[in-house]
Amino acid sequence: MNSNNSFGHRLKKSWDHGDIPMWLMLVPTIFFILVMSVYPFTWLIRYVFYDYNGFKAYFVGFENFKRMTGDGIYWKSVLHTFEYAILKLLFLLPLSLVTAVLLQKRRFGSGLIQGIYFLPTVISSAVYSLIWYFIFATYNGVLNAFLQVIGIINQPIDWLGSSKTAMTAVVIVAVWGGFGNYMILLISGLAGIPSDVYESAQIDGANGIQTFFKITLPMLGPVLKVVIMLAITTAFKDYESILVLTAGGPNNRTHVMFSYIFQMVFGTSRAATQLQIGYGSVLSIISALIVGLITIVYLKISRKMDEIS
Amino acid sequence: MAKETKGHSVESRKTKLINAAIFLLLATLAFFTVYPVIYILFGSFKTNNELVRGGVNLLPQKFVMDNYIQAWEMANFSRYTLNSLIISFGVMAVSLTVSSMAGYVFSRKEFRLKSLIYNSMVMFMFINVGSVALRPLFELAVKMNMNRSLISIILISAGGGQATYVFLIHGFMNSIPKELDEAAKIDGCSFFGIYSKVILPVLKPALASVALLSFRGGWNEYILPLIFTMTNEKLRPLTVGVVALQNAGDGAAAWNILFAGSAIAIVPIILVYIAASKQFMGGMTAGAVKG
Repeated sequence: MNSNNSFGHRLKKSWDHGDIPMWLMLVPTIFFILVMSVYPFTWLIRYVFYDYNGFKAYFVGFENFKRMTGDGIYWKSVLHTFEYAILKLLFLLPLSLVTAVLLQKRRFGSGLIQGIYFLPTVISSAVYSLIWYFIFATYNGVLNAFLQVIGIINQPIDWLGSSKTAMTAVVIVAVWGGFGNYMILLISGLAGIPSDVYESAQIDGANGIQTFFKITLPMLGPVLKVVIMLAITTAFKDYESILVLTAGGPNNRTHVMFSYIFQMVFGTSRAATQLQIGYGSVLSIISALIVGLITIVYLKISRKMDEIS
Repeated sequence: MAKETKGHSVESRKTKLINAAIFLLLATLAFFTVYPVIYILFGSFKTNNELVRGGVNLLPQKFVMDNYIQAWEMANFSRYTLNSLIISFGVMAVSLTVSSMAGYVFSRKEFRLKSLIYNSMVMFMFINVGSVALRPLFELAVKMNMNRSLISIILISAGGGQATYVFLIHGFMNSIPKELDEAAKIDGCSFFGIYSKVILPVLKPALASVALLSFRGGWNEYILPLIFTMTNEKLRPLTVGVVALQNAGDGAAAWNILFAGSAIAIVPIILVYIAASKQFMGGMTAGAVKG
């Protein structure tokens, strides 16, 4: 009776204090963390040791790891991931930086132009990849038609179907769809640079390009670092657009790590294959480690750069 | 080229020239950026014959509405649109509720497990194992008979965006003075009462950003509904429905429907964007910088 009373008393006290309502308000967040992050992760760790086709699971020990070391397509897809990410970043980062610097100043049409650059970011990457799939089409696509009209090519190019051009096409779509996002982040970073710094540079007679390298770039440093890290991790994890554009083809030429894994774990509509979920789990963990490693290397390098400058 | 630029008028003419060149450059890039969208919008009014023939004409020779009628009635796009709307509004509602409550608690309370919960949210946002993580969730949904409705898609999509939205709200919450809470507390407001009566109205700008971003997230979701509706065509949203048509039969035969379908999938979100472009871009920055 007494303990019951004190329990009731404590309950009321912590309710008034806001502790119980607080936990109730956190229930959905905790639920999401447990169900959407912790549970799949433990599930994955378990199936690493199984051969699992979606119906039956057989324990195979370390067989999946052994298979991975000899899986040429996977390691090629790792190489393609690097190729894709490096090419994408090579064009995307300068493009978003230059457009950000130019648009930060109020000029004729800058609001509209900025709005247009950001537009691809609001569209589903699956649907805009489908649109590009039409543009790249060999015989009735507008890109080949245009290039033939202005006389650059004589024969239509099979952009997505030829192993020579498929990766280029995929990267074009990725840069088109991504640069506006980083531009916006950089513009907000540029807005944080106090204007009197520019004014004193102007008084000293610095021209636009000098101002950019001597003031804008160093002052933007911290924001730029975060933006580059975001861009790198995103580039290494991209695969949705590739699934729609080429489904990893032709002949696995555009398979990146995560598109290859997707087909292993969920199959494709274009090619019916036996699901290999256990093996896909192994590849996922290794791929996540690769992305993590790259992030760490980047952080190390950017810290080194700080020490030098 | 190497002219002396001493006089003031010469200098300003030079700046004018540079500015014109910059504008031309920016405008050209803008044209290429917007071109695919315009191409699909005009193309969706072309006859299938014209689309199969190809060419560089942007405007249709003959405007036809037939593509939309066919897509809407025969290719199930009315159903896909409804599903997309349900998913987007569902994700928006769940995201708003969950992130505003969590952001409020994280900003106003100190407790033992706080850093554990917060850090695991951050950590799992960075550990990304790709689509594999959806496999156990899919099997879980099948086991609980939740794969026959859109609820599981809504919950998983909202859960996936949770961390970003909680950061966004948390950051905004920290800029709201705590005196506001205390004044309400003296007036007899409970912990939840302060949230619902005092904080939520003040949070409006941040909530608007979360609403827009999560709506867009739900509308554009592709891999997740693709997996969950592989055997259930009736539940497909627009993204999955239109891309599935690409692989059905010999693509070229249905280009007109594909064009109309793609237009249906992007026009609503573009309209939302035009109406609220400032909040879109602002929300983007707030989420990324806090995260």
